[in-house]
Amino acid sequence: MAVEDFRLTSEPYYLPITDEIELFETAYANNVPVLLKGPTGCGKTRFVEYMSWRLHNHLGDKATEGVPLITVACHEDLTASDLVGRYLLEGEETRWIDGPITRAVKTGAICYLDEIVEARKDTTVLIHPLTDYRRLLPIDKRGELLEAAPGFLLVLSYNPGYQSALKDLKHSTRQRFIAIEFKYPPREQEAQIIQVESGCSTDMAEELAKLAEKVRNLREHGLAEGVSTRLLVYAGKLIANGISPRRACQVAVVWGLTDDVEVQQSIEEVVTSIFPE
Amino acid sequence: MSVADTLADRYDAELQSHGVGLRDEFLEAARELESMLTPEDFEVWAERGAALASQSLRSWEAAVEFFRASPEVSRLIPFDLLVRWSESAERLSTESPLVAAAYLRATPAVVQALPADPDFDIGIQGENITQQTIIRTDLDSWAQAGERLHQGNWKSIALTVLFFDESPKIFSGLSMPQVDQLVDVLVVLAERSYQLATTCLEASGALFEELDFHDREPFLQFAAALSRSSWADTRLYFERGPELVSRIEREQRGAFLQLAARVVQSAGRQGFPHFLETASAMGDVPVNEHETMMRLAQYLARRSPVAAMAFLRSVPFVLTRITSEQLEQWVEPGARLLFDEGNIEGAEAYFKMQSTRAEGTLASLSARVELGSIHGLLRMYAKALTGSTISIRSTEELVDRGIGWVQQSMATTEGTSIFLPPFVGSFPEQPSNFQSYKVFTTHQTGRIEFGSFHYQWGVDGVYAPASVAERLPDAPQRERDAITDMERFFDLFEVRDLIASLFTVVEDTRVDAAVSREYRGITPWLHRLQSIEAERRPDARSMSLRSAFVESMLRSSLGRRDAIRWPKDLMEAMGTALGALAVVEEPNATVQDSAEVAGALYDIAVSMPNIRNPYNDEDWEEPPSDFGEQAQMPGGMGQSERELPEDSEEQEFEVPAQPEFRGDFKPELVQLLSRLRDQASGEAGEGETLSSDQVMDALSKSSEVGFPDASEGDMAASMGQFLSNLEKEAAAAAKAKQQRDQNGEESDGEGGGDEGGSSDKGPEITWTYYDEWDFRASDYRPRWCRVGERTGEEGTLDYYQDTLQKHHGLVVETRRQFELMRPETFRRIKRLEDGEEIDLDRAIEFIVDKRAGVGPLAQVYWRRNKVDRDVAVAFLMDMSASTDEEVEKPRSGDRTDGSFQGDPRNYFQWLAERRAKQISEAPKRIIDLEKESLVLIAEALEAIGDSYGIYGFSGYGRDNVEFHVIKDLAEQFGDQVRKRIDKVQPVRSTRMGPAIRHTIAKMEKYDAKAKILILVSDGRPQDHGYGRDRTEKEYAVHDTHQALLEAKRVGITPFLITVDKEGHDYLKDMCSDVGYEVVDDIEQLPRRLTSLYRVLSAE
Repeated sequence: MAVEDFRLTSEPYYLPITDEIELFETAYANNVPVLLKGPTGCGKTRFVEYMSWRLHNHLGDKATEGVPLITVACHEDLTASDLVGRYLLEGEETRWIDGPITRAVKTGAICYLDEIVEARKDTTVLIHPLTDYRRLLPIDKRGELLEAAPGFLLVLSYNPGYQSALKDLKHSTRQRFIAIEFKYPPREQEAQIIQVESGCSTDMAEELAKLAEKVRNLREHGLAEGVSTRLLVYAGKLIANGISPRRACQVAVVWGLTDDVEVQQSIEEVVTSIFPE
Repeated sequence: MSVADTLADRYDAELQSHGVGLRDEFLEAARELESMLTPEDFEVWAERGAALASQSLRSWEAAVEFFRASPEVSRLIPFDLLVRWSESAERLSTESPLVAAAYLRATPAVVQALPADPDFDIGIQGENITQQTIIRTDLDSWAQAGERLHQGNWKSIALTVLFFDESPKIFSGLSMPQVDQLVDVLVVLAERSYQLATTCLEASGALFEELDFHDREPFLQFAAALSRSSWADTRLYFERGPELVSRIEREQRGAFLQLAARVVQSAGRQGFPHFLETASAMGDVPVNEHETMMRLAQYLARRSPVAAMAFLRSVPFVLTRITSEQLEQWVEPGARLLFDEGNIEGAEAYFKMQSTRAEGTLASLSARVELGSIHGLLRMYAKALTGSTISIRSTEELVDRGIGWVQQSMATTEGTSIFLPPFVGSFPEQPSNFQSYKVFTTHQTGRIEFGSFHYQWGVDGVYAPASVAERLPDAPQRERDAITDMERFFDLFEVRDLIASLFTVVEDTRVDAAVSREYRGITPWLHRLQSIEAERRPDARSMSLRSAFVESMLRSSLGRRDAIRWPKDLMEAMGTALGALAVVEEPNATVQDSAEVAGALYDIAVSMPNIRNPYNDEDWEEPPSDFGEQAQMPGGMGQSERELPEDSEEQEFEVPAQPEFRGDFKPELVQLLSRLRDQASGEAGEGETLSSDQVMDALSKSSEVGFPDASEGDMAASMGQFLSNLEKEAAAAAKAKQQRDQNGEESDGEGGGDEGGSSDKGPEITWTYYDEWDFRASDYRPRWCRVGERTGEEGTLDYYQDTLQKHHGLVVETRRQFELMRPETFRRIKRLEDGEEIDLDRAIEFIVDKRAGVGPLAQVYWRRNKVDRDVAVAFLMDMSASTDEEVEKPRSGDRTDGSFQGDPRNYFQWLAERRAKQISEAPKRIIDLEKESLVLIAEALEAIGDSYGIYGFSGYGRDNVEFHVIKDLAEQFGDQVRKRIDKVQPVRSTRMGPAIRHTIAKMEKYDAKAKILILVSDGRPQDHGYGRDRTEKEYAVHDTHQALLEAKRVGITPFLITVDKEGHDYLKDMCSDVGYEVVDDIEQLPRRLTSLYRVLSAE
């Protein structure tokens, strides 16, 4: 797959909440790596996508120099070679395959490591030289030292409230990034997002945003995470397509959030309080 | 000379010899009888009398009675019977003339009382043959009954005399066969105690008269059964029985008593208390239910009378939850246990309401919703709606706290907690009752969410600018400045009650409107409850005018303007008022608006005198429907005095009752309370701290303070009490807050089923309830045990240090061993297709295979995998009294008792030696070893870094299981813990089950991959009531076993260590599928414990 394929061709919907766009643009222009903090489903990935598209359209030459976005979803078993690349056996020979990060470094793309805390700490150390002034990626197996092409930027996302201290980000890692903090959008804006994304009525979107606000009050009190905007959009989509609001919230919000029966019941009561039959 | 005189002369010698009076008695009787008897009969009579008199030394006493009774008796019965009667008397007289005398004396009255049985009441007395036969046989049997009582000693004579004396009364209640039964009972009782028999006999006369005719027989049957199995209770039964029985439905009494008799036969001593409880329980149930109850009870009694009685006892409670139609459904599962599964113990527990199944069935049938079961749900609901942490409590609790709330049935809030009634059962179906709860809660959260308690002085409302300040010049003078803004506002008005109740109505209107707008889903139910409340409102026409005005506002606020009735003459004012009230129903109206509106309404209210309704009923009308549709603040303070009839008297303003779903509203008190809380937590900031006097002042004028029983004289005292309650409340809240700040968010104070509450004395104790396993019923007994968790007392550090020194070697050794266990942080995982490094061996193998053409997989890499050691362990120590025992240690020089060979000198010498030894070195007790082990294990575990908790348990009885925290799982090991170990000492019994369950609950909250529970004990579980009786051991063993299984179920590895050498027998049952070890040599306990831990945690 050519790196151009990682370019976004159409504008993703993104509603700016504060000055995050300006911050990101400035960071990009100055090669400052970015850490996006925030709870699940609050729009981090969408933001990166949007920025990739926006930079591509505003900065680069559309045909050749756009800013592709290479996303890696991190997980526990992610190893350094998964990121950098590895030799594969092919007949009697071996062939080197670039990993996503190597590709991004070579082509000057935005490399987005989603949920970085999920990756093992020894893996994350790998990115350190890329994030300071050196902008280098050592490839041990080939004995190479790659310098990042202009336009390369490392972006991490990280969910601080998530899990326990076990899954915290190392200080040596986190102190190499500027951090843009994401929160769930305020009620009005969230309603707007829900409405646009799901295509439900404005009234319904407002009610859903109200529900979200109420449910998020339960964070740390039975719920590890508040309901994400993403789930609300799903609920909105169901409602827009004729599912009754109570039922839609039940499947999209209540059951999606937790398996604890009592918490489920509590949220359902909030749902039935807000949405008439 | 009459025949009588002749006869008297003839028997003169005989009669004279027995006493002076006898002849006169004879003569008197003879004169009367002369005309009634034939001469022959007359002769016979005289002869019998004389014979009786001369029978023995004291038989003249009987003869006197014979003569006295004869005329009367011969009028009642034919002569042949009279002869039989005299024969009976003679027979009795041979045993005791006193008894005979009593017999004779009672006869006339008894004969008249016969027959007592109304079924036999036929024809006119004396004329009917049948009746004659009855008398004939009964007189005999009666005498025989007396004879049966008579045992020859003087006590029995007294009893028999009493029996005859009481007979007329007894016969008026009982037929002869029944009297026989009574005598049977008396005979049995007399064998035990004459006193008891006498008391019962004395009670009998009145008792049976009181009893219904049909009840007498069964009453006696029960008495018979009781006298045989539990004689001592008979008196109580005779005393209280009739009253108890009378409360049972007439038709069912017999059946009930028969059932009770069966239970008494099988249950012995326990039977009678059962009877008492059951009978009074039945009395608590309306009589029309008794038939169903007895039918079901008799059905159950076929297999187990005890279960049947237990069932009857439980009915009053059960019927508070379900309707009588559902009773049968509730019985069904229990009956299935009884008949189909043959589990009699289980069924009995079921009907005693000592089984979770019984409760479960009840809960599923019941329409009533209990706060306890939805408490957690509502807490989260309230948290979601308001965003602040709110605890849900029962209103019972609030009243107990004595901080100004006195209504138990009404929901309310004091700003941080929401108080709800303990149950709601007003609707016949459960979902509706739940919805009621939800509306209650939503209204209360509404007060918090929409800021009812945040009134601020001088802040503009959205619709009404702040104008109350303009009232200041006219406001009544107050001695002191107001403490809170709310108080300052109320201070502006002359009649505090009036402004307070108006403000309440207005604010509730605003909250309800906001709730309806924000939560459209709940609106239908809100309206429904509003409507129900509106129907219940008292008639405004019976109130004084101002009360009627507030009442009208209230109806409007319930959305029922159509329910308002108001005097035509004052309709204009009503229009203005309704318009003003509608202001707060507008979107975004705030509490400031409410205050302004309340002020405006106040002006309208005071413009009319507070007099009794001066109008005729037809002058009261419903206001026009367009009233109040236009929200509008009244312009200015229109104070136009209206013309009203003058002859009425000004009334004291009475506050109309609040609707149930809204409950009490006390904004002033809440503001004060929150001010006090801030002060207590040091967050007061603005303003000086409040003195008690200030608070007192504010309280005494507030209309919101309620006292449970406020009599004027007590006012000052209760005020003081009230104040200290308030301060305590504030301090507790502040403390809780501090704790929260320290521990992050964790300690909500309401984990699991905690029903918190601390007492003032001693260490703070948190009580938790746990079920207990009843193996016979194979079901849990719900909330059976109460575990009180407390932090262990602190002693000195010396003990810990000494132990460390004493066992220095061992400590070092175990530490070292434990350090070895520290896990390698990384372990190599081989045979991977991809990894950090190539594994050389694998690579060579791979090449070889490849050359050989085997076609191997390219698994030549290895990588490191991190392994975290994440173990949590809880040590649960037996602190029962038995651990106080010395550890038996074979000592040289020790002798057994037998070796003194009866020589006291040897013995004393030994004793002195022993004492000397004890002084030099205190004997080691089991608890000491446990403590030493604690020290060792704590040292070792600190080396390895596992999280561990140390707990001790003891207690007495099921509602006082003591649980001592020596070190909590999350607690840091420090001097505190070291000091607590010092204070570990033997207390009381060993109720293991609840202690284990409590530890499980603690461990469940703790996050760790591997969890281990190690129970250290010195013997079998034992406690008061931990089993059917004192000697039973199985129950406790089974419960403990069950508790250990529960631990396994939630992923905790339980392990039991005991020093009880005889333990193998019960341990096998108690620990099937659970690891255990008996430490033979107790001294080895510390060593064993540490090495066992290594094995366990490595698994």
